[in-house]
Amino acid sequence: MSALLEARDVVMRFGGVAAVDGVRIAVEQGELRGLIGPNGAGKSTLFKCLTGQLRPTAGRILLRGKDITGLPSFAVARLGVGIKTQVPSLFDGLSVQEGLMIALRRQHGERAARLLARAALERLGIADLADRSVGLLAHGQRQLVELAMVVAPEPDLILLDEPTAGMSLEETRRAAEVIRDLNRRHTIVVVEHDMQFIRSIARSVTVLHQGRVLVEDEVSRVLADPRVRDVYLGRQVAA
Amino acid sequence: MSRRNAIEIVTAALLAAVVALVLPRVAELFVLINATVFVSMAILALSLALIWGFGGILCFGQTAFFGLGGYAYAVAALNLGDSTYAVPIALAVPAVAALALGYFMFYGRISDVYIGAITLTVSLILFNFANSTAGDQWHIGEAPLGGFNGIPSTPQLNIPGDPDATLSPQAIFVVAVVCLASCYILSRLVLASQFGRIVVAIRENEARAELLGYDARRYKLGIFTLGGLIGGLAGVLFANCVFVSPTMFSLFYSGQVIIWVMVGGVGTLFGPILGAMLLQGLTTWAGTLPGINPNAVLGVILMLAVLLMPMGLLPGATAVLGGLRRGTAP
Repeated sequence: MSALLEARDVVMRFGGVAAVDGVRIAVEQGELRGLIGPNGAGKSTLFKCLTGQLRPTAGRILLRGKDITGLPSFAVARLGVGIKTQVPSLFDGLSVQEGLMIALRRQHGERAARLLARAALERLGIADLADRSVGLLAHGQRQLVELAMVVAPEPDLILLDEPTAGMSLEETRRAAEVIRDLNRRHTIVVVEHDMQFIRSIARSVTVLHQGRVLVEDEVSRVLADPRVRDVYLGRQVAA
Repeated sequence: MSRRNAIEIVTAALLAAVVALVLPRVAELFVLINATVFVSMAILALSLALIWGFGGILCFGQTAFFGLGGYAYAVAALNLGDSTYAVPIALAVPAVAALALGYFMFYGRISDVYIGAITLTVSLILFNFANSTAGDQWHIGEAPLGGFNGIPSTPQLNIPGDPDATLSPQAIFVVAVVCLASCYILSRLVLASQFGRIVVAIRENEARAELLGYDARRYKLGIFTLGGLIGGLAGVLFANCVFVSPTMFSLFYSGQVIIWVMVGGVGTLFGPILGAMLLQGLTTWAGTLPGINPNAVLGVILMLAVLLMPMGLLPGATAVLGGLRRGTAP
């Protein structure tokens, strides 16, 4: 059985700097994987490589065993991957409902899309925002709207880049609930640097440090690992 | 289709019918020919409104398609001796040009600023080329290109299949109005379709549209090509009431179209049509006043419009009216 998503020795170099320097990870079907690390560890760069927003300098990315390295992001999305970016990426001039319809109409007819949009908004507890203009919403609401657009088409794999950035405590709690609930049907990879949040949702965690995988283990063991604490506190890790 | 859309389409059709029926009966020939020029310019403004206002592609050289449409029409009609097939050729040439240019720009992932520069450059290249075709050696088939004089012998439209039955200026005015109304309705329908909604979504956020699985390049190319075709139609009509010359490609016109769309309201269809008509009317009138430079008047209007109504005439007026209505409501 091959992994759903796999990165094989992925390297991403910007000039002389290797932001991602030979990362190897494999995410199994049904998993909820946290990808953590301090600022500059290469999390977001790896995320962009996985989603086709960047073409890695070296290495391969496989989805269900199929090579997707260098595919443009729309093609990756078409293979059943839902992607949420770090800064909410939304259709500001449209209403929440219109945005969801754009997300759904590629695969569904008008009527089915309407029902699915309704369901996605209710799942995230923002059904009351349906007719609001996206550009006028508060930051936390925007995060939820983007999440709704990503999950509405029911992708097999959901990639979330810092889904709780800028959310209030209450919104973060709800997002954690939503992500756990989503994991019943979807495989999820969450990039975060909020350890607290990762502790509340993920079972397995990969820690990146200076573009490499530092540890990969079950969440409580990772969080107890002194090396992980050290890199988060900016100390040098004893090799 | 939404109810509001249906109302707008019916209103446009009725308005066009009234203008097409009434104006040729009451207006003098000179006024009517001028009105036809205005209508062709309104179609040109509509084509940019579609590309820029909805596609989010700032094309600085919309006149490239306008001029190509005009020249293709004149050359084809002179060679064929009949406008029946000259019109479809004149629509195909700018559409194919837009398709080719758009392909390189969008599939090459050229960013917005460079798209402005490239489109402007293309229109200027065409302008310079058309200007330098003076002399007998420059001809396509029977049609002399005529350098900066253009093609004064540009044939008038005839009834399809009957080259001897050339249309009167009155009839050409009616044709122009029908074309404007049809282009407006076509644009409304396109924007209401799934294709149109995605075009607008891409304008709002290209990255998000791609992350949802849409290939933005295809949609941008589609709307750009449609805009090129409509711009070409404007050129055909212009050729029928004036004649074809290099000024059709000129910076003067490409700058003006942008002003019309901006003053009328970017992101609306009717606004740019209104903007084109009003501003042309105004500059024509200003031209008759002694000691006033119509271009200076146009400049002042642009500055005032940007300062006072940054959204444009139509959205601005709608907002003011909406405010009044709310203010007076109990």
